[in-house]
Amino acid sequence: MTWLSRRWQVVLMLAPALLVYSVYLIYPVIYSVFYSFSDYNGVAKPKYVGGANYRTMWHDTVFWSSLRNTMVILGIAVLVIVPLAFMIAVLLSSDIKGAGVLRALIFAPAIVAPILIGLIWVFILDPHVGLINGFLASLGFTGPQWIGGTSLTPLSVAMVYIWQTVGFVLTIFYAGLRMLPRDVMEASELDGATKWQQLRYVTVPMMQETFGICTVLVITGVFKIFELVYVLTGGGPIHLSDVLVSYMYYVTFQLQNYGYGMSLAVVICGLGAVVSLGYLVLRQRGQRT
Amino acid sequence: MTVGRRNWRRQTRSRRLRLVASLAALVTIAGSIAACSSSAGGGKNSGAAGFTLSMHIADPLKNDPATAGIVKAFEAKYPDVKINVVGQPVDQHEQQMTIAAQSNTLPDVFWVYNSLAQTMAKSGKLLDLTSILQQNGLISKFPQSMLSGYHGSGIQYGVPYQALVTGFYYNKKILAQYNLQLPTTFDDLVNVAKTLHSHGITTISQGAKDSSFSVWAFLTMLDRFGWEQKQGGLLDGSVSYDNADFKNLYDHIQELAKAGAFPNNMSTQTYQQAVDAFSAGKAAFLDSGAWAAGVLQTSSVGSDVGFWPGPTFADGVGSQQLVMNAPSAPFVVSAAVGKNAKKLAAVTEFIQFYYSDAGQQILVDNAQTPVTTYKPTGAAAQKSVYASIISALQAPGWTSPTAQPDLVVSAAASNAMYESIYGVMEGVISPSKALSMVAPTIKSGS
Repeated sequence: MTWLSRRWQVVLMLAPALLVYSVYLIYPVIYSVFYSFSDYNGVAKPKYVGGANYRTMWHDTVFWSSLRNTMVILGIAVLVIVPLAFMIAVLLSSDIKGAGVLRALIFAPAIVAPILIGLIWVFILDPHVGLINGFLASLGFTGPQWIGGTSLTPLSVAMVYIWQTVGFVLTIFYAGLRMLPRDVMEASELDGATKWQQLRYVTVPMMQETFGICTVLVITGVFKIFELVYVLTGGGPIHLSDVLVSYMYYVTFQLQNYGYGMSLAVVICGLGAVVSLGYLVLRQRGQRT
Repeated sequence: MTVGRRNWRRQTRSRRLRLVASLAALVTIAGSIAACSSSAGGGKNSGAAGFTLSMHIADPLKNDPATAGIVKAFEAKYPDVKINVVGQPVDQHEQQMTIAAQSNTLPDVFWVYNSLAQTMAKSGKLLDLTSILQQNGLISKFPQSMLSGYHGSGIQYGVPYQALVTGFYYNKKILAQYNLQLPTTFDDLVNVAKTLHSHGITTISQGAKDSSFSVWAFLTMLDRFGWEQKQGGLLDGSVSYDNADFKNLYDHIQELAKAGAFPNNMSTQTYQQAVDAFSAGKAAFLDSGAWAAGVLQTSSVGSDVGFWPGPTFADGVGSQQLVMNAPSAPFVVSAAVGKNAKKLAAVTEFIQFYYSDAGQQILVDNAQTPVTTYKPTGAAAQKSVYASIISALQAPGWTSPTAQPDLVVSAAASNAMYESIYGVMEGVISPSKALSMVAPTIKSGS
């Protein structure tokens, strides 16, 4: 066997991956940060404007409403998806009939393109032609504006995001549950632990890493929501249902304000990282105490 | 041969193999980079007598029959010139044109919004079309208003793709069913809306999702409140969009909304869905333009459809008898075409053909109004929907603004205008808030 362990050999082997990583990830990030300090319309030469785009953002009411909508979705998603997915995974891990079919059904939305999920839910949530309001109308009630109104859209987007994501998170939990050492569970059974006690004092503590991964995935996923909003409402009316990414898309590609759009992208990226890291730090502190 | 020598030879062979593998990897990477570079420049034509026409419509040869007809007739007349017609939905198209301008890979001829065309012209990305228009006296065929909007940065950078004739289509059968007359004034329209709303009928079919620009009839109303007189001041900053006249218009829009004129799912339905609703006889009016005439003519309500330029206002400013017949977004030509003699010749022939009488008749045959002074003839001009448009355009005493208001301001300002109008229609913002939303976006030079 020949070991390729010299420094130059390691560098050479890593070079292709590093090259691709640099070209497609590092460079765009640096490029975005650079343009976030410019007045750039995408065609003419960018003009350096210092922190003007960030000052504009501070006074931009649409940015704040988009941030509020994103945070509403984030809060609901984290509070619902992680516990719900874990509970369903626990249920499906037990020997119930049809567990495989149920797993497949719950996972199905995760393999459908978000744009199609949006289309499906438009026909369910639309206030005029949607199934829900149609059903309510048949009972003599007037349904609310689930989407396209001034208040319920973020909640509706959160609900659709939960429906789309819970199957994927469930799969991670399910895999984690299957990896738990059997002897520990048997020992707890021999010690007389009930199912609930096993779950509370054995399963959950041993699944801490999985909980962390799933929560970070949900957080980063929320900061990437675009297609659902784009298809459900297009951000309307007048941006009241925009989330951060859909607003960034609007500013960059519809208003052709690349400079401001890039500053929004930088803030979105930063927020995603800060919230994820903040959660991980809090979790680590919680584990130490 | 000793064991030591065999080991030495094996190590040497192994080193050579590793060297060859490393070189192969490097060559592969270099090859990939070279391939990427060459594909990036693939848009540049080698000089054959053909060019690319990039449109804002997906599958333009199918979905834009007027342009498809002109291209087909042109290729029949000039068999040595091949036009590669490509297209995608308008948002993606605008995005792609912006990126292409950055990388100097603009298509030869392309449709683009005027605000982006102005930016490209300022950056020297577009060809000056003056000499092409002067050949054979083509320039004399255009009304001056059809070209003046596309002159800037010292060049004639664009020519009108089609004429922008906008207003309301109306369904005669629905009006007759409820004993209503076609409105003339705004008060008439409000009364019609109240009656139809009481019967659960949508008065004006509108769709804001992904199509916030679909407020054409209301943009003409801005002209009925003095847009054209104020335009200079609005653009140089001496007049605010937040003024008493425009406030009156926005108050009227709110009045219309309160009368139940608009569908309650306006924010979640697209313009196309609004057209479908009108075509299916579910709405009395449709805010649209001449481009929809062909589709409406062949729909189930085709024989009942007429065209109405919109209401007049007792408190309006200046002439109220205005029908929008202005240049739409332009066709522009990449500056790179000027450096390729064969391609320039082909593009010149195409522009000459597009605006010739033969080209304009093809527009008419496809229910479009001509952009030149050509007088339409033929069976298509006799079809009821198209004929009602022509009748409105030729009505005595009615004139046209020189440009649609949103096409003379920046993308930020035009988007703010659309959203302000839809915001009031949807009851999400007040007229005062709507005006204050737009005012800061219209600044000097926009």
